[in-house]
Amino acid sequence: MEKILITLNINGQSCEVMVYPNDTLLEVLRDELDLTGSKESCGEGACGSCTVHMDGKPVRSCLTLALEAQGVTITTVEGLANGDDLSDLQQSFIDHGAVQCGFCTPGMLMSADALLKNNPRPDKKSVRKALAGNICRCTGYTKIVEAVAHTGNPKDHCPDCKPGK
Amino acid sequence: MSDYTIIGNRMPRIDSRAKVMGKAKFTADLKLPGMLVGKIKRSPYAHARILNIDTSKALALPGVKAVVTGKDTEGIKWGVFAYTRDQQFIQTEKARYIGDEVAGVAAVDEETALAALDLINVIYEELPPIFDPMEAMASQTELIHEDFPNNINIHVNIDTGHVDENFKKAHYIREDTFVAPEESYFQAEPYTIAARFDHEDCLEVWCPNGGPHMKSKPLSNSFKIPLHKVKVRKIAIGGAFGGRSEICPVDYICALLAKKTKRPVKIEFTREENTIATRQGHAMITTHKTGVDKDGKVLARETTCYMDGGAYSSTGPIATSVPFLSMEQAYRMESVRYNGYRIYTNKPIRGMIRTHGRGFACGLDTQLDMIADHLGIDPVEIRLRNSRQPGDYTSTKSFVDSCAMDETIHKAVEKSGFKKKWGKLPPFHGIGIGTNSVQTGFPMGIRGGSQSFIKFNEDGEATVMSGVVDNGQGNDNMLVQIAAEELGLLPEDIHLVSADTETTSSDPGSYSQVSTFVGGHAVKIAAQNCREKLFKVASKILKTAPDNLVAKNRLIFVKNDPEKSIPIKKVVRISLLNFTSVNAEGGYWPKVDMKREWVSNPYGQMCEAFSFGTTIVEVKVDPDKGQVEVIEVTAAQDVGYALNPLVLEGQFEGSIAMGGQGGMLTEYHEWKDGRCINTTMLDYKLPLACDMPPKINNIIVESLDPKGPYGAKEAGMSIAMSAAQGYSAAVSNAIGVHMDSFPLTPDKILAAIKEKKQ
Repeated sequence: MEKILITLNINGQSCEVMVYPNDTLLEVLRDELDLTGSKESCGEGACGSCTVHMDGKPVRSCLTLALEAQGVTITTVEGLANGDDLSDLQQSFIDHGAVQCGFCTPGMLMSADALLKNNPRPDKKSVRKALAGNICRCTGYTKIVEAVAHTGNPKDHCPDCKPGK
Repeated sequence: MSDYTIIGNRMPRIDSRAKVMGKAKFTADLKLPGMLVGKIKRSPYAHARILNIDTSKALALPGVKAVVTGKDTEGIKWGVFAYTRDQQFIQTEKARYIGDEVAGVAAVDEETALAALDLINVIYEELPPIFDPMEAMASQTELIHEDFPNNINIHVNIDTGHVDENFKKAHYIREDTFVAPEESYFQAEPYTIAARFDHEDCLEVWCPNGGPHMKSKPLSNSFKIPLHKVKVRKIAIGGAFGGRSEICPVDYICALLAKKTKRPVKIEFTREENTIATRQGHAMITTHKTGVDKDGKVLARETTCYMDGGAYSSTGPIATSVPFLSMEQAYRMESVRYNGYRIYTNKPIRGMIRTHGRGFACGLDTQLDMIADHLGIDPVEIRLRNSRQPGDYTSTKSFVDSCAMDETIHKAVEKSGFKKKWGKLPPFHGIGIGTNSVQTGFPMGIRGGSQSFIKFNEDGEATVMSGVVDNGQGNDNMLVQIAAEELGLLPEDIHLVSADTETTSSDPGSYSQVSTFVGGHAVKIAAQNCREKLFKVASKILKTAPDNLVAKNRLIFVKNDPEKSIPIKKVVRISLLNFTSVNAEGGYWPKVDMKREWVSNPYGQMCEAFSFGTTIVEVKVDPDKGQVEVIEVTAAQDVGYALNPLVLEGQFEGSIAMGGQGGMLTEYHEWKDGRCINTTMLDYKLPLACDMPPKINNIIVESLDPKGPYGAKEAGMSIAMSAAQGYSAAVSNAIGVHMDSFPLTPDKILAAIKEKKQ
């Protein structure tokens, strides 16, 4: 098998990279482009740790060939913040204690970010549904669900919401 | 309200920012110059003699840099205890489970390494495998390890005396058997290790671990190099849950490949390898015989537990004891006899797991509920009549100092409305309670204590060194909070150097709930010693006695006269100008009974403090589908003192997910001829966000342990265990059948409902 040159648009930058036709997008992100924020936990599309956006939609980068990712806009967890300025969602994860070991966090953020773009004020039930494809073994999900549901919509009763942000 | 500035606050964790930005580095993210890819050749047979291994074809494959077999290991056998050294790092004579290590390969890339594995030719002679622990124990001739008769790996016997006499006095006696199969950790991060020998022939290692010092010592022994030459490095860790406490063959193999190739080597486990070749939870068959007086007070108990230990010892003596110990801590019993047998089978190795013995604990609590039914008292009352009290000694002679077990029961009962609901809920709607207790560590000899070093930098900020490791639970933040509190700094002024065996002193590790109690305590003492030095200098400047000073918010000021103050930074600089550095050390060694040993002497002070937890669960069961809908969970734990309620709640909620929702409803392994057939996240049913109960009530109970740092004990483990019990009790209550086989999957629930109807 021979490598071929492809162009990927990742986090607002155009990158040329040599890939094997059977390389997954996750392998190329991690091994070729040093974007190691996206994680491999199951390698079979079950856990969501490798979730990235293609044209704003969450996809499993472990089940996506790098070749398929040409001609679309790719966003990874590294592209969520604006430089050192975290997105509201990222800040909300920190403030609500939604991060424990942090291995599922990048994928969780990408699924949640996609949800919030379509539904900026989701109720907790919609959040649970939208995150059903992301497995977290540490948190029991409560704080993740709160962090997502309260992003941009702080709740008075929540001790961890930081209104006025 | 406390006088603390930083301790006790809902402080977001210091490591979260790097994690939400995707910047935190886990072992798989590491790239070292010249790094090779390592892979392991594993036995396809559950039990087979290894007749020959031919590696010549693999070695000849271009790109393969080294192949190692048991011949390269000098026959070293590993075991956590001197009497459990039964596992070679690479097998030379026999393979004892499907997945046992027989060779390792290092190559330039993964494809080449995998191709090389296929070229290693191993000739086996198949031996009859034994998968059932009771069959294994009955066998005199089919031995998995020659020197362990009847395949009994460990036998723990505890007897307080007077058991038989007390049974004679009992008003009511029950004997019931409970079973549960194996479960797994499914840490988010699959096990990965990177190793290299540096320019000074030091072995440098990165891997998820439950204690870096517990990795460095066996590596030092195995490679016969001094301890200071083994540098286990700090790296972000994607969960442990008890499964990453000890050294594994892959650690040795990776280091051996690095030694042989003189290049860094990284081995990343597949999800399947993480499931079968690290550790699993033990399958258990537990019989509890309990005799009570007419009020339901336990007079005598006899428990016998058969544990399927798999192919090797691992932490066997501990794992055989802890399920019993948790229950003897939770409940008073006037007399008790325990026989725990850990039995070898040709299955993957079993180790410690967060919910120690779910079948054991749920069985004991289910039987209490049965006894309560018989006596016509409710489940809360029978627990209160037997619950552990402060000032008690446990059956195995540990003094229990702080204990708010009853308070956790009362508060959980009140919050959940248990009394209003018990016996009054409609059919297939139930409520149940579970209570449990865990220890903060155990006697570990010279490795039972932790030490910390603190140095002030000239800018007024401090570097804190501690051997404590963070597996994801928030230990790093805990250490920083404590240091900042004591030094009068802000958390961002603390630079933490931790979990690195080159720079930090020995620490017992982050398993057995010991990190706060011992490691956090050591940091507290070091910081107090450091503050004393600051106060000595400041007292001269502020013209007052050192004990009249307070450090807060980067300032040292006079008590009751906060206007009189000096910045800490200035004190540090003045001190340096006076030829005195500002640094200190501190250590903490829990006063435990060093003569206590798991098998030979299971009596004496186990640890200094115990946590106590109560979980109440309310469920609805679909009588046609057997599905359980969890409506509400109320979890109350005596944590001693809440150092950070935000982190603590996360531990409670995660405990409910793993112990209750997963552990009691969906999680178990299935087998075919010794092969685990649900090794992946598609097949093994982990709880998802949409599965979790919509309402969780966290109740933090503070008993202020006299020895714990700030009174703290541990965060959330007795919830993981009591959640399992609460879930099983609630389902049993909903269907009107006391269940004895866990987890409570729909097939078992439907069968129980059907049987009840007949």
